[in-house]
Amino acid sequence: MNTNIADLVKGVGSLVTLPDVFIRINQLVEDPDSTIANIADAISQDPSFTVRLLRVANSSFYGLSSTVDAVPKAVSIIGTSQIRSLALATSVASSFDGLSNTLVSMEHFWKHSLYCALAARILAKQARNCDPDAVFTAALLHDIGELVIFNRLPQQAQDALLLVLDSADEIPVYQAEQQTMGFDHAQVGGELARQWKLPPLLEECIEYHHNIHSALRFPREAALVHIANILALMAEIQTLDPGDVSPIDPQAWEIVGLDADEVMLSTVSEAQEAIAEAEKLFLGR
Amino acid sequence: MASLPSACLPLALPGFEHIKRAWNDAYGAYSARLNPGEYYVTKNAEGIYTTLGSCISACIRDRVSGVGGMNHFMLPESPDDEKWKAAGMGSSDRYGNFAMEHLINEILKNGGSRKNLEVKLFGGGRILMNLLDVGMRNIVFARDYVATEGLRIVSEDVGEVFPRMVVYFPLTGVVRVKRLRSLHNNIIVEQETNYLRTIDAKPVIGDVELF
Repeated sequence: MNTNIADLVKGVGSLVTLPDVFIRINQLVEDPDSTIANIADAISQDPSFTVRLLRVANSSFYGLSSTVDAVPKAVSIIGTSQIRSLALATSVASSFDGLSNTLVSMEHFWKHSLYCALAARILAKQARNCDPDAVFTAALLHDIGELVIFNRLPQQAQDALLLVLDSADEIPVYQAEQQTMGFDHAQVGGELARQWKLPPLLEECIEYHHNIHSALRFPREAALVHIANILALMAEIQTLDPGDVSPIDPQAWEIVGLDADEVMLSTVSEAQEAIAEAEKLFLGR
Repeated sequence: MASLPSACLPLALPGFEHIKRAWNDAYGAYSARLNPGEYYVTKNAEGIYTTLGSCISACIRDRVSGVGGMNHFMLPESPDDEKWKAAGMGSSDRYGNFAMEHLINEILKNGGSRKNLEVKLFGGGRILMNLLDVGMRNIVFARDYVATEGLRIVSEDVGEVFPRMVVYFPLTGVVRVKRLRSLHNNIIVEQETNYLRTIDAKPVIGDVELF
């Protein structure tokens, strides 16, 4: 691992606090002896997460037919591993407040991430054998390395963005980062995920969303996040022409087993329709 | 990586030698890079590109001879009427008038004919969230100006919340507009804010001719 990246990430721990409830649920999910009741207890000790969880469980995000009014019911319907994803997803924006910077507003940053998460979840439901909630959270976190770079290396980060603007062809930001600093935000995000011991699925999706062929453990999830990232750009700039944004690695579609012509535009539209409610659920403070 | 240019840097028209130009792989041509407040006119097969937030660019060409160019400007954010009056001018629209007149006059001076001119407008995004919609002011100004001059807008992509990257080839009239993601907003806003400060600091009188 590039020592620059490790050094860069080392100091970040004190600026970002992963929610306690996520850490506790994470331990319980990994523990074969834990029960749904244990996880419901852990959730109930965090009133703020309890409220957010029930709001999400009753939103069109899940589209459940019955009202979910109690935590144990939410856990059994939604699933323990999915609850772990939600514990991270619903607090992600406030967790990263410490990584403030002048290059991008947090509102814009998280909106792109949320578009990506929505698109990834929509695609994951159509691709088989993927956990849509895990992919959602991975996509929500896919650019966290960007926040580290913007906060720790503001000058180089600015140079990279200027390189994009000067390119006349809008080269991808990660390529500009590699040119100006020798590494990119995906690598930094991957290192951060390792340091935090995030689930390996999240780590791979974050680290390889621009380099899907290196994702060996979760190739389909990484490919989903790669595709969703580009669809998120289309949703944001309100275009249905893939020529307006960076190209999608054609192999990504093969890896996830979806047909671009069939799902691409509908996914962009669905993400646009879902963004307002999702912002309230996931980015509301 | 970067390929070698397949041609020599074409000669710039007199008065435009200072504009930064470089070979661009993506387009296989030399391209001039405009900063806020600059403009460029050419007869060559070369591109002109810029990035726009609330600023606006008019791309104007003679569709017969191919001479044409691009400007990049913004009306001062708060009409600083006292300063402008002191300089013998009425309102902040003056700044836009200069930008448009300069571009058109240089095109005419280099063989363009007024009756052949076609105009494309880009920019004027609403990306300075806390202020008045300065982008819309710029759009309204540019459209009015073009109408008053009896010219024709053949295409435009203006307003809304996006910054834009515009690449224009006057010789062919081809233009490529890319809406940019919000990640780029702050840097573009900073560039435009710096430009506004320079306008405020030195009102246009002096180095600008009145036409």
